Amino acid sequence: MSLDALFGYIFERLPELWLRTGEHLMLTGCSTLAAMFVGIPAGILMSRTAWLRGPVMGVIGILQTIPSLAMLVFLLALLNKIGVLPALIALTLYALLPIARNTLTGLEEVSAEVMEAARGIGMKEYQQLMMVKIPLAAPVIVAGIRTAAVVGVGIATLSAFIGAGGLGQFINRGLALASTKLILLGAVPAALLALFVDFSIGAFEWGLRPRIRRHKKKWVRSLIRPLALVLPIVLILMGSIAYFTKPGWIFKSETPLETNDRIIKIATKNFTEQLILGEMMAQLIESKTDFKVQRRFNLGGTMICHGALINGEIDLYAEYTGTGLTAILKHSVIADPEKALRYVTRAYHERFKLQWLKPFGFNNTYAITVRKADAEKYGWNTISDLQGSAKRLRAGFTAEFAERPDGYPGLRHAYNLQFREVMDFDPSLMYEAVARKEVDVICAFATDGRIASYHLKPLKDDRQFFPPYYAAPVIRDDILKKNPKIGDVLELLGGLIDDVAMQQLNFEVDAKQRKIEEVVTEFLKTKEIL
Amino acid sequence: MIKLTHVFKSFDGGQTYAVEDLSFQVLRGETLVLLGSSGCGKTTTLKMINRLIEPSSGTVEVDGKDVMGRNPVELRRQIGYVFQGIGLFPHMTVKQNIEILPRLLGWSSRSKRERMQELLSLVGLPAESFAQRFPEELSGGQQQRVGVARALAADPDYLLMDEPFGALDALTREALQQELLNLKKRLNKTIVFVTHDLHEALLLGDRIAILHEGRLEQIGTKKDILDAPATQFVRDLFTTREPGILH
Repeated sequence: MSLDALFGYIFERLPELWLRTGEHLMLTGCSTLAAMFVGIPAGILMSRTAWLRGPVMGVIGILQTIPSLAMLVFLLALLNKIGVLPALIALTLYALLPIARNTLTGLEEVSAEVMEAARGIGMKEYQQLMMVKIPLAAPVIVAGIRTAAVVGVGIATLSAFIGAGGLGQFINRGLALASTKLILLGAVPAALLALFVDFSIGAFEWGLRPRIRRHKKKWVRSLIRPLALVLPIVLILMGSIAYFTKPGWIFKSETPLETNDRIIKIATKNFTEQLILGEMMAQLIESKTDFKVQRRFNLGGTMICHGALINGEIDLYAEYTGTGLTAILKHSVIADPEKALRYVTRAYHERFKLQWLKPFGFNNTYAITVRKADAEKYGWNTISDLQGSAKRLRAGFTAEFAERPDGYPGLRHAYNLQFREVMDFDPSLMYEAVARKEVDVICAFATDGRIASYHLKPLKDDRQFFPPYYAAPVIRDDILKKNPKIGDVLELLGGLIDDVAMQQLNFEVDAKQRKIEEVVTEFLKTKEIL
Repeated sequence: MIKLTHVFKSFDGGQTYAVEDLSFQVLRGETLVLLGSSGCGKTTTLKMINRLIEPSSGTVEVDGKDVMGRNPVELRRQIGYVFQGIGLFPHMTVKQNIEILPRLLGWSSRSKRERMQELLSLVGLPAESFAQRFPEELSGGQQQRVGVARALAADPDYLLMDEPFGALDALTREALQQELLNLKKRLNKTIVFVTHDLHEALLLGDRIAILHEGRLEQIGTKKDILDAPATQFVRDLFTTREPGILH
């Protein structure tokens, strides 16, 4: 890519980059501040009450060992809420350890002699703390805050997985679209942000150091006061960027009712086809009704989208009949597509007050897929053909497939297959992994454009193990009842996209790296719907 | 006046005593030196006067009132304390160190500054060149002068000094001892001075209390003690081959 094109690419996304940076700073800033409000008092308390030390540091330490993504998903389930709140809580919990530990260490290191002088001179307890102990421990405490904030910038990139925004959103989307450019658009600013936070709090810490405070050169001393202002300014900056670029951001779900009525919140899971379907529904609603669409794209996996739909954080997303049947309803496979659709429609309505609309037309079932060259060499046409060689093959599956009953566990049973090893991949990386011979078998999606572009071959499901996966919009009953127009508009998409058409759409985005909005508009225009 | 009556102090619940049945008085305006080797209970005794340590039994009275019945913070603010070792606040300038108690007492900034300047010149450190320095930038002797100035900041009636010159080299120590003698005359404070240095005790003390293993061996003027040592321990003190420092 030429330098010109690169600048163009970045410039085009500048407004969103600004917004995501603001969100990112807000997430990091708020959680670090919250952790200071809890961690510093906790450190002070521990330094005064020895028996608290073991249990409190133990609990904080254990929190630290929980993998960040697991923590986010756990909080999601616990709070039954997506977005900023669970992300803030997770980030705060991670920031606690360095802050509380450094506060404790800093206070412990203040010499007993100095503290006796403070007592002997007639300082009250809080005066000893505020005038002597904390000022002397301050460099160590601030070092803890610095660690917490820098680590926080890193962890905050993961909050995009649960719909909290931030620079991780670019990374997330880049992964979904297999676009290195997009990943870098998130990763590079996040790294720069970490350096910036590290530098500014580091400067503050530097100014607190006794050696600097009593530095011989006057100009060095004169730097201290301005530097002391850096930390608060950074924190205020963090808050205001996010606040002024997107007011009410932090309390997203509490938008007043009258505006709520005019907004449809559409979510997608985190892969290309979902983004295309989401964009298609969004463009249609925007052009055919007077509703505004809030795009909560890349929200997460099936469970996150379904959960968000049930508790009303989103109004609508595209689900697959097979997924609804087995993953959500925990029902066994129904091979007949019509019966499967009828079953999920009835069960969703009764159990969740959700409505399945008319399917788009294509069947994006799982397809056990190998390299075309291998298939020709060994004569593989069906999944059964793999039985002889499975023990020598390495499989790359999505994390969902590896665990779902209609995924590998069921497949193994149905075909009596046992691969040499199974590795988990992000959906976007799986295709590249098989093309580069890092694995031999993947669980491709039948409609994925990369099957063609990477020269892969889907094997026939000769025992009809995989349930049909017809995609259809799933919408909340109450939204549909209040606004039947939305249902009417979405029905226009019913039966419009067959397998080949969907493969082509995916191909345009994944292989040709075209913008989704463009591809979708073009498609709707050729179908004469827009 | 400071008065101790049958004071006992144990740090291990009564198995051993750091101070045992101690009774003596410090008269208004006099300098009493507590003399003894390390571990004899002299610093413990000093700290019981301003309640940094509380007696296990017996009473400590300051101005006729039992210290245990008084607010320790207010008590300590009325008693200047010069600490063993440094004891200056390393994050504060000389000025801030001296002004700390006036600040806690809510003095106006003008009277704080005047007092600070007055005290610095009293201890021989001109304010212009020393007020803005940090303790680390001072020599040991200068630090201890600031320590004395800080203890005098709120013009207390009493001054407790815990081996203030112990860590200094001999020359500086002698200079400071002379200065303290001069100060004493000008200030008219009641001073309790802890030392293990016999010469220092004889030089500075109006009266000397000799402690040994937590007990009072003898209390009296230089003359009393030299003329009529009360115990074998006191007698030995002045006849050992290398008199001077007790260890």
